[in-house]
Amino acid sequence: MTPRLILIRPAVALLMAAGMLASGVAQAWTLNVSAAPRRVFLHVGNGTADANSGTVNRVEVSLSGAALIGGLPQAMTTNSTQSRSLWGDGFVTCPNPSSQIMVGASYRRSDANNGPASATLSVTSPPSLTSAGGDTIPFSEIGWSVAAPGSPTPNVIPSGSFSGAQQTLATIPAGIYIENCHSFTYANSAARAAGTYNGQVTYTLTSP
Amino acid sequence: MGLCALVAGQAWASPYRLDDSQSHVVPPNVQMQWRAVAPGQGDTGMEAWVRVNVRIATREWQGRSGRVYMVLPRDQSATLEAVWTTQGRLLAGRLVTGDRTLVWAGVIASDTLEDQLLVRLRAASDWGTSSRRLNFHFELDTD
Repeated sequence: MTPRLILIRPAVALLMAAGMLASGVAQAWTLNVSAAPRRVFLHVGNGTADANSGTVNRVEVSLSGAALIGGLPQAMTTNSTQSRSLWGDGFVTCPNPSSQIMVGASYRRSDANNGPASATLSVTSPPSLTSAGGDTIPFSEIGWSVAAPGSPTPNVIPSGSFSGAQQTLATIPAGIYIENCHSFTYANSAARAAGTYNGQVTYTLTSP
Repeated sequence: MGLCALVAGQAWASPYRLDDSQSHVVPPNVQMQWRAVAPGQGDTGMEAWVRVNVRIATREWQGRSGRVYMVLPRDQSATLEAVWTTQGRLLAGRLVTGDRTLVWAGVIASDTLEDQLLVRLRAASDWGTSSRRLNFHFELDTD
């Protein structure tokens, strides 16, 4: 604050001097403007632009006995309906939301002194999916591929698999909105006890 | 004699700074809000809206013909754009820091020029400071 006032006072003094020369008065309508506060925005699956959304989408796969024995990776489906971008022109970033989860993130700051240059997108997963009977499947059995048709940076979030802990997905520079579609796959690398296995992952965007 | 005449002419030449001390801004303090961004695009900056009740004293210029400009002096921060609409007495327009824009022209026939402006302010996000003070004013070029 103090440096700003030091810069402004001479300017006001100069304007007053000019006014005295011209007509003997010097007035102005003045306005104090504050920069927008730092902000992060993140949506995973169905979301709402510029607002909170309580939606938690589900990604799932049901394996037949043959598929289980076959041991081949199985594509997972989603209950997401988010195909259009939440920002800008509403571009259809994820044309097949039944097999894609849209991830969108942005970080804003008013100037270089207003926080770090980037924010960090991470995801946290528990070690395992669990069934009602107490059986488990390592969360690392679930991985994702990425796409973003029309984007100059379709791999801004790399493909990967859950680690069963917190893992960094991407660095989001200030002033940039990124968007990505994730298609999930169950690795199916081992036979499991029959049952429904559940687990929840949490995506986080932070700017300390 | 010639030199004296030239000096006097410069001291009283247009533009004349006008008294708008009766103008006021609602709200007098405003916080910019982020504008939406599109995927892959750079930062689209911030914006804010204010209403300005303008009252310019013109009594001493009655009968004179001229043009009134709104001025936004350049400050130490990023370029800021003001775009406004009016109730009709003044002209709508656009102005960036360091520039001036015509808001009225004609023969001054009243003690005051009054109008209400709805102003949209936009700026990129490279302020270098968390806040700034904008000093708009009006000046008159006489014919």
